[in-house]
Amino acid sequence: MSKSQLLREEGNRHFQKGEYSRADALYSQALNLDPTNPTLYTNRAMARLRLSQWDLVISDCESCLGLSPDNLKAHYYLSQAQLALRAYSDALEHAYKAHKLCVAANDKSLGNITAQVLKCKKEKWDYEEKRRRRETADLEEEVLMLLRKEKKEAVVLSGEEAEELTREWEEKLRRVREVFEKAREKEERRREVPDWAVDDITFGFMVDPVITKTGKSYERAAILEHLRRSQTDPLTREPLQASELRPNLDLKQACSDFLEENGWAADW
Amino acid sequence: MAGFATKRLGKELSKINSNSLPPGIELVSADNFEEWFLDIRVLDNNPLYLNEIYRLKFRFSAQYPIEPPEVTFVKLADRPIPIHPHIYSNGIICLDLLGQQGWSPVQNVESVCMSLQSMLTGNSRNERPAGDEEFVRANRLRPKDIDFYYDDNNV
Repeated sequence: MSKSQLLREEGNRHFQKGEYSRADALYSQALNLDPTNPTLYTNRAMARLRLSQWDLVISDCESCLGLSPDNLKAHYYLSQAQLALRAYSDALEHAYKAHKLCVAANDKSLGNITAQVLKCKKEKWDYEEKRRRRETADLEEEVLMLLRKEKKEAVVLSGEEAEELTREWEEKLRRVREVFEKAREKEERRREVPDWAVDDITFGFMVDPVITKTGKSYERAAILEHLRRSQTDPLTREPLQASELRPNLDLKQACSDFLEENGWAADW
Repeated sequence: MAGFATKRLGKELSKINSNSLPPGIELVSADNFEEWFLDIRVLDNNPLYLNEIYRLKFRFSAQYPIEPPEVTFVKLADRPIPIHPHIYSNGIICLDLLGQQGWSPVQNVESVCMSLQSMLTGNSRNERPAGDEEFVRANRLRPKDIDFYYDDNNV
């Protein structure tokens, strides 16, 4: 076994024990000896993920992808680091790439990668939602302020006429607040996940629905997990092979569109 | 898939809490994601089960719902074990739906309770499975490891 392999195995042992800094150092030594080994980069990226060293994870993954563009782990770790740095679109893009590679390789990490896709969408939506709310609140403040200013200028006289005007302006202010309040309530009320978007095995929101002969769709990772245990259709118990599953593209698009507008649904 | 069972059970629980269960089925406790208790009763006037409430224990593995839950009746002072040709007097249930072969991951706690409810409703035989005494004395296996022979689908 070469020196770099020995260092790598030593690094793996420390990683298993949770000693990530030590593992990181050993992988680095191995890389000095063998700088074109993609696995060493993903090993080190994994250790650095645990150490929350996001920038370093990104550079390791990029080095790995330079050597091996279709490296599943590199895309997956890269997505996690980008998400931690709030680069939502990049994180989602690499989560999708990892998902695609994972399906092609029939890799067991499909469940975790599916969860990563959802997590990217959810966090992106949360971030945008926060911004939307803040902007709406700012707009409300501004409108109210302008109205109060108008009111002050309008109500210059005293007496009965002024009282009448004051009442009118108060009413306007009340209505503006009401309109904003109603919009907020509506936002809260529509939070219901449609059944068609929910996988009947995990009860999770679907990312990559596949359809069986019965016409029923399931999340790919979930139905594959079931088929590993029992090669039967979950509804009819008729024989079912993984190779008989077909992607349900329209449903996939519908799920994706729904999530675009309702990111909270990712972990309802 | 890590966290499969916990997530799914969390969602089942929130569905139960918001939509409530069908008549005759009640959640007693769901304090964790390993063991839940539910009460069921039969809705018609079947004299075998009239005015009785039965306690079910669900045990979930980390692979639920890929793996079936372990479901048994529990005996308490006011919760007998229902008499049925497929229910042993120690509470173990012989139902293909709960076996390795008959289970499907689209089943859930509610649907299992409904199946058991209808299994009781449809029964008119006031008897235990053949060899009940012997089975109860000798069995040391967990229900999922028992190889039941589902010979009689009419009961």
